[in-house]
Amino acid sequence: MVKNKKTFGRIVENLVELKDTSEMMLDLAYSSLLLKSKSLAEEVQFLEEHMDDLHTELELLVLSCGFNSKESKDFLGLIRLGLFTETIADAAAQIAELVLRGIEPHPVLKMAIEEAEKSVVRVTVPKKSKLIGQTIKKANIPEETGMWILAIRRGNRWIRPRPKVIIEAKDTLIASGYADGEKDFIKLIKD
Amino acid sequence: MADIEKVEYKPISVRDLLIEVKDISELMIDLAYSAALFDNEELAEEVMDLEKQVKTLTYLINMNAMLAARDAEDAEALVGVPMVASSAEKISDAAADIATIVLKDIRIHPIIRDVFRKVEEQLARIKIESISFLISKRIDELKLAAEIGVNILAIRRGKRWILDPEDEEIIQEEDILIVRGTQKGIEELGKAAKGKLKEL
Repeated sequence: MVKNKKTFGRIVENLVELKDTSEMMLDLAYSSLLLKSKSLAEEVQFLEEHMDDLHTELELLVLSCGFNSKESKDFLGLIRLGLFTETIADAAAQIAELVLRGIEPHPVLKMAIEEAEKSVVRVTVPKKSKLIGQTIKKANIPEETGMWILAIRRGNRWIRPRPKVIIEAKDTLIASGYADGEKDFIKLIKD
Repeated sequence: MADIEKVEYKPISVRDLLIEVKDISELMIDLAYSAALFDNEELAEEVMDLEKQVKTLTYLINMNAMLAARDAEDAEALVGVPMVASSAEKISDAAADIATIVLKDIRIHPIIRDVFRKVEEQLARIKIESISFLISKRIDELKLAAEIGVNILAIRRGKRWILDPEDEEIIQEEDILIVRGTQKGIEELGKAAKGKLKEL
């Protein structure tokens, strides 16, 4: 019987991060195509490397659980889950690669991803920002500015902007929305 | 191998096809994880059904893109379209593989599933039975999000999928709702769908 509760906790944390990262990569990949943004596409590629690390860590955690042969199926499921999540991330990277290759996105692609003109903006939260300590939900960013956050960069980590995430100083927020919301967004974060 | 049909060309706009492929593949990710982490075979089966749809749509996108290219310049401009469709198909395949974990009875370790339940919201499949008061109601009329914390992500009506249904969509008998929400909310909606609850 597997006893190590700590390891289980870490496996779940790792899986949640794998899943969140892959979905965030997909959002960022489509946005990079829409906005012809090489820098966003590069973020996707960067995240793919991060996924590789996470995936390896998951496999090592699972293998170190010390399971018996009866339990092996339960752990195979975890290994597979990690594997397929990485496939999803690969697909996102494939989309971002189009942008990095300089392939002009066909108008039909743009229309399919989003109808209107949009912009993407990257803002680092200054130390004096009023948003520090607030949750994403409370910050009301889409309501105030028409922009929504795609991803948060905190140090070396990428965080998916779930409603409960608390904004910290020096976070870099990547947001997308209509071009006229950009100014309001920057003002909201920096004031 | 059963059920592999020839896909015949249909003149559907590539834009509409791409939107559908993108939306379906994203829904499939959510459904597949929920199937695996909540050990839900019903959801896994819906994922397998959606995978077939994505395959058909991908064929149609590729056919339409081929027809649109007349010279090298067109080909360069269009190459992104089948590439994006192929990425979406790759995602759909991965989601189907995740669903297979459940269907082949490999399963995810029960302790992991228990911990996951505390952090992730659940998806569920709910079938509208003939005696349910939900029939003929508009989605916005039910105020599901406000009343019981449940969102409808998709409706399957026979073979047709309605993704991210509009507020005006009317619920019909035999509809299969794919919903996201709290366990309690999902249970209540399930009872309402079976006619065991007369209001929410």
